[in-house]
Amino acid sequence: MTGVRSDETAAIELRGLSKRFGETLALDRVDLVVPPGAVFGFLGRNGAGKTTALRILSGLARPTAGTAHVLGHDVERATDAVRARIGFLPDVPGFYPWMTAREYLEFAGRLFGLDSATLDARATALLEMAGLAAVTTRVGGFSRGMKQRLGIAQALINAPSLLMLDEPTSALDPIGRREVLEMVASLRGRTTVFFSTHILADVERVCDAVAILERGRVVVSAGIGELTARASANRLVVEVEDDAGAVALSDALARGVWLRSIEANGRTLRLAVSDLPTAQREIPVAIGAAGVALRRFEIEETSLEDVFVELVGGSTQ
Amino acid sequence: MTGFGAFLRKELTEIRRTWRIWVIPGMLVFFGITSPIIAALTPALVRSMATSQPGLVIQIPPPTARDAYGQFIKSLDQLVLIAIIITGASVVSGERSSGTAILALTKPLSRAAFVVTKILSQTMLLVVATTLGTAVCLAVTAVVFDGAGGARLVTAVAYWLLYAVLLIVVMTLLSAAFQSRGAAAGAGLGFYFLTLLLSAWGPAARHSFLGLVLATQRALVFESQPSGWPIATAVVAIVLGAVLAVKIFERREL
Repeated sequence: MTGVRSDETAAIELRGLSKRFGETLALDRVDLVVPPGAVFGFLGRNGAGKTTALRILSGLARPTAGTAHVLGHDVERATDAVRARIGFLPDVPGFYPWMTAREYLEFAGRLFGLDSATLDARATALLEMAGLAAVTTRVGGFSRGMKQRLGIAQALINAPSLLMLDEPTSALDPIGRREVLEMVASLRGRTTVFFSTHILADVERVCDAVAILERGRVVVSAGIGELTARASANRLVVEVEDDAGAVALSDALARGVWLRSIEANGRTLRLAVSDLPTAQREIPVAIGAAGVALRRFEIEETSLEDVFVELVGGSTQ
Repeated sequence: MTGFGAFLRKELTEIRRTWRIWVIPGMLVFFGITSPIIAALTPALVRSMATSQPGLVIQIPPPTARDAYGQFIKSLDQLVLIAIIITGASVVSGERSSGTAILALTKPLSRAAFVVTKILSQTMLLVVATTLGTAVCLAVTAVVFDGAGGARLVTAVAYWLLYAVLLIVVMTLLSAAFQSRGAAAGAGLGFYFLTLLLSAWGPAARHSFLGLVLATQRALVFESQPSGWPIATAVVAIVLGAVLAVKIFERREL
């Protein structure tokens, strides 16, 4: 069996994955399942452990404990046949400075054993996609953005089943970033894309699902819609006609056992609640009892940023 | 050894397109040209120094082709071996620190193929450069002197080449083992000076690859060949060194 899983549905599966560097625990019993065909965001602050996880998944590092499977195979025993189905872009891709972009793609393609005709066609298409078709200078003279685009192109040279990208948009200008995100989105359904980032907007824009990593632990893993809906289900906004009314209402609501927090901003109150149905019943009663004129009362739309800040605490390490 | 062919092609192109084509081959051709000339001019230079010191009489026999070959071998033994150490120190660690190894090794390229290719490409470069440098030395010596004894130079260079290939393997191993190229170069110089020192010890020279150091120098003077021990142990050390380099690199995290 050599590490092949009977259940091959998951593109990536991490079970109790830990990685320790001396005293530092970079990954702490991470569990994660990435379904095939998904565009999956691996979100976390700098230093959260994203790159370490990707290094283990790409076979560059070994876990201290736990297991990591890609395309149903244990990464520690993955064969070349498995590696041939994976595309990888590290956070800072290193190229041979004496090569041109086409030469690098040809070198990468030959490592995958592509025949000349296929290699030529793919290199041409990918250079076009990366906006490097007309560039004849050597890679040593490339800007960081150009290197990043070449990095994405080389990760696609083998038409991978699983594409793993470490911070693929971090060095790109707004136009380059949009192009990369559109390219990632276009792979949906054909290729599983697993990309790490600390840019929330990128995840919201293209991902089907996301896992948030904080201090080496996955604090949440869910579909984007499910995640924001779950967070929205606990947030309410109440807007009244005057500031004094808002203060009176705030005092009245503070007694509710279902209230987790309340934030007053002029005439508007934002409430985080633990029991939404009870809150929806009791707040109108409290408004009536306080004699406050109501302007707006609704469940608040929550962005991924709100979820992220709530889960990771919003503080810097 | 998956990816061996594609990576070897990259290595050979890299040699052709970068500074690597100039350093070792340049040195060997340079010493091939200058060694016979220095040998021819040395007596005149020494005599001119002696005339400035009254009462000092120096008897110098007329220079021969053997002096030219000796000068060439001396340059190989010292400067070229040190150049091999310095250039070899970054052969693996350089790819690791620049990130190029990461991109290559996340494709179907085995770490064994990566290391073996490094050894093979350096060896190919050295063999071509040594052949070229020796041919140049023989040709210039033929012009400056009578050119006799060329076969002895070829024998001496062959012993030297075997030792130099062993040094390439040792440097690849050190470059795989150490994070920094400075540390690898330091350890390589330590190995070089230690082998020089130990080669003066008779039993070690007779029964190990250390004998190649002496064999290189003696081949120019004596017809007799050393026993098979230095050659056999050098070949074994090359193979074992390459295997160890692969094992070390396979265990390293990138």
